[in-house]
Amino acid sequence: MANAERASAELRQMDDLASSVSPIHSLHPLAKLIVTISYVLATVSFDRYELTALSGMILYPAALFALSGIPVRTCLHKLRFVLPLVLAVGLFNPLLDRTPLFRLGTVTVTGGVVSMLSLMCKGAFCLAASFLLAATTPIDALCAALRRVRVPSFLVTLLLLTYRYVSVMLDEVSVMTTAYRLRAPGQKGIHISAWGSFLGQLLLRSMDRAQSLYESMLLRGFTGEFRYAEGRRAGLRDWIFVLICLSAFALCRFVDLPALIGGLLVR
Amino acid sequence: MHMADALLAPAVAAATFAATGVTAGVSIHKLRKDDDTAKLPTMAVTAALVFAGQMINYTIPGTGSSGHLCGGMLLSTLLGPQAGFLSMIVILTIQCLLFADGGLMALGANCWNMAFYGCFVGYYLIWRPIIRSGLFSKLGEKAAVRARIILASVLGCTVTLELGAFSVVLETTLSGITELPFGAFCALMLPIHLAIGLVEGLVTSAILIFVFEARPELLQEVSAREKGLRGRQSLKSTIIVLAVLAAVIGGGLSLLASSNPDGLEWALFGNKDAGYAENMALDEESYGVQSGAADAAQTIQDKTSVLPDYAFPDSESAAGTTVSGLVGAAVVAAAAVGVCALGGFFRKRKQRS
Amino acid sequence: MLRFESVRFCYEKNRPVLDDLSFSVENGESVGLIGANGAGKSTLIKLLLGLLSGEGRILVDELPVEKRNLPEIRRRVGVLLQSSDDQMFMPTVLEDVTFGPVNYGLSRDEAERRADEVLARLGIPELKHRHNHRLSGGEKRMAALATVLAMEPDVLLLDEPTNALDPYNRRLVIRTILSLPNTKLIASHDLDMILDTCTRVLLLSNGRLVADGPAEEILRDRALLEANRMELPLRFAR
Repeated sequence: MANAERASAELRQMDDLASSVSPIHSLHPLAKLIVTISYVLATVSFDRYELTALSGMILYPAALFALSGIPVRTCLHKLRFVLPLVLAVGLFNPLLDRTPLFRLGTVTVTGGVVSMLSLMCKGAFCLAASFLLAATTPIDALCAALRRVRVPSFLVTLLLLTYRYVSVMLDEVSVMTTAYRLRAPGQKGIHISAWGSFLGQLLLRSMDRAQSLYESMLLRGFTGEFRYAEGRRAGLRDWIFVLICLSAFALCRFVDLPALIGGLLVR
Repeated sequence: MHMADALLAPAVAAATFAATGVTAGVSIHKLRKDDDTAKLPTMAVTAALVFAGQMINYTIPGTGSSGHLCGGMLLSTLLGPQAGFLSMIVILTIQCLLFADGGLMALGANCWNMAFYGCFVGYYLIWRPIIRSGLFSKLGEKAAVRARIILASVLGCTVTLELGAFSVVLETTLSGITELPFGAFCALMLPIHLAIGLVEGLVTSAILIFVFEARPELLQEVSAREKGLRGRQSLKSTIIVLAVLAAVIGGGLSLLASSNPDGLEWALFGNKDAGYAENMALDEESYGVQSGAADAAQTIQDKTSVLPDYAFPDSESAAGTTVSGLVGAAVVAAAAVGVCALGGFFRKRKQRS
Repeated sequence: MLRFESVRFCYEKNRPVLDDLSFSVENGESVGLIGANGAGKSTLIKLLLGLLSGEGRILVDELPVEKRNLPEIRRRVGVLLQSSDDQMFMPTVLEDVTFGPVNYGLSRDEAERRADEVLARLGIPELKHRHNHRLSGGEKRMAALATVLAMEPDVLLLDEPTNALDPYNRRLVIRTILSLPNTKLIASHDLDMILDTCTRVLLLSNGRLVADGPAEEILRDRALLEANRMELPLRFAR
């Protein structure tokens, strides 16, 4: 995350995506949360050599992208955070694991290559699934779901409150960065002489802000607990969605569908 | 250092989730007991600020590169370890959900690696003993506190970041993800994070010194000192803590240096303290987790009599199905693209109509 | 009704921010509170809400401002802060507008009905489900006003209500203030707005009340204003 303005823009984009309308957006957040976590678990539990079986799992994000109308490209650039470490870990597999698995023409494909590819796929698939969850569910709805599954209300309130102020703070940081850059042309970052005062200034101001925030809570009768709207209850449609998805994941996990399809074709 | 879901086996993810969850629960309990609801807005605003502060590039003098802030140490020195930990969890959750920085299932591990060490280890083993100690008292009252702040933040950030990086290696290795030997992986991760930690430590100390000059009452422990609550910790205990830390770091470095993987294994699996034991116990499980499902898949594959003609002489068990698998995967991929395109198609039609 | 009786307040010892302050505001009055930066306007508001406590007596409808009366006083006195961001801390406008009423014991349905009613009265029903962090400056100010009005206060304290608004939104806020029947105490440097909305003006300087009288009179007194680091409203300056 290089600069505050870009992060701010990204937040706004996620907000806009999450507040659009589609059959997926209208599903209950809890249903989506359950399905997403199951998907990630199922995907990650594939064996490292089961690349072809794993490929079946792409259908879930594909279907969700299609149904929700979220453009695929919005997800692609999010890969930049996740991929480096995955790459660092996976890149050595082809060098270290040279067990030949099969040949494609004259090229021998080793276990390392397959395990590296499946690691990348897993990384990308899981990311797509979490992204779809966040892109089709506003954060307050997601927090309602978290409360429903007994995540402590203190933590959920903290999450919402922090989220509320992230954009405020990003704006302040980007204003300050701009002010700095205008007076220090050609510098890529903050010079060591300003390391402390740059964020320190903001920090002191934030403490005052926190104080006045707390006062404004007190003025409106805050007594230590936040009370939120209940939100609608999960309906039949939501549970059908969960049921379909979970059985599809189970099917993909235990039956090598791509191999079956391929078998039918090749024979 | 944010881990993706792909780097963790479900069992390891569950273990780290449990560890983070328990710590969070205890922290919330502690805050409630101290009746610190007034802290909530401060926590939120500070967390939001640290989140935004992570976007700032700090130029490292003498090099062309720049560093960033992670913030665990900073938060715990401003809010205390419990509140700092919870704020860090929230930051990591927002990063995970809205920036896809770190996976959903890996959230527990990420909180553990980046928040737990920075907040609790950094605070209780490094920040508090050093601030309370009489170190540098020759320099005069103010200068001594300043020197202690620098020492504590630099040491705190490097040590906790190293611990975090070490945990990443440990969790990935336990998950059976990489072919990389443990030692080599450490050699890859630890030096990088040593440098990152050093920069983070310097930035953190600069910020904390600024705060100390302006509003010393905001800093944990420093304020207690100012109020005259003389710490119980003596120089001796500080030295002991430092020695322990030196041993931890030294241990890590010697692990790196060790070329004997067996020795490594022993050092690793023989180490029962520091809470790793629970992860250790999950070791076998995490390797075995796939086998049941894989077996089932194997049987099904066997039953479907796929492509006997294409089996290669040098292939291992699963390889016989591979060509058909590849064909199938291609079909699936095409279907996926088709589904996406179809979605777009209908959407456009809908908009037009 | 609000009454200040020889109120004095110091942040640091012997350096009073407010000193020997006495005045009262009758029900239904609109009173402007003016004074240079640091004159003590914000401190006065905080004292009135019991966020700070000083010497002397402050009464809201004969209720003294002290700990046991605070919930009742804070229900009767609504305040619009200078920074709407500090005031709007919930995720959506609806959650924010219902925050106060729910804390004061209304059921969620009742609170939501009241929110609907207030938003409609302010002409911003479309903001109901919007996220607070996505509101523009003008929208945020109006929504913040809605959070205050949803508490159905008798008295409104407005701290710089037109601060950093464009002319259109400034006019909108002024019109809205004029349409509210509540007792109002408006602290601002926007003297033209004070002239539009208030019948009476209190001029603070260095923590003391230096003038208290009809708005038309005080805001035309160039010598008095300039002696206290203010100047004539634009419409009189020409």
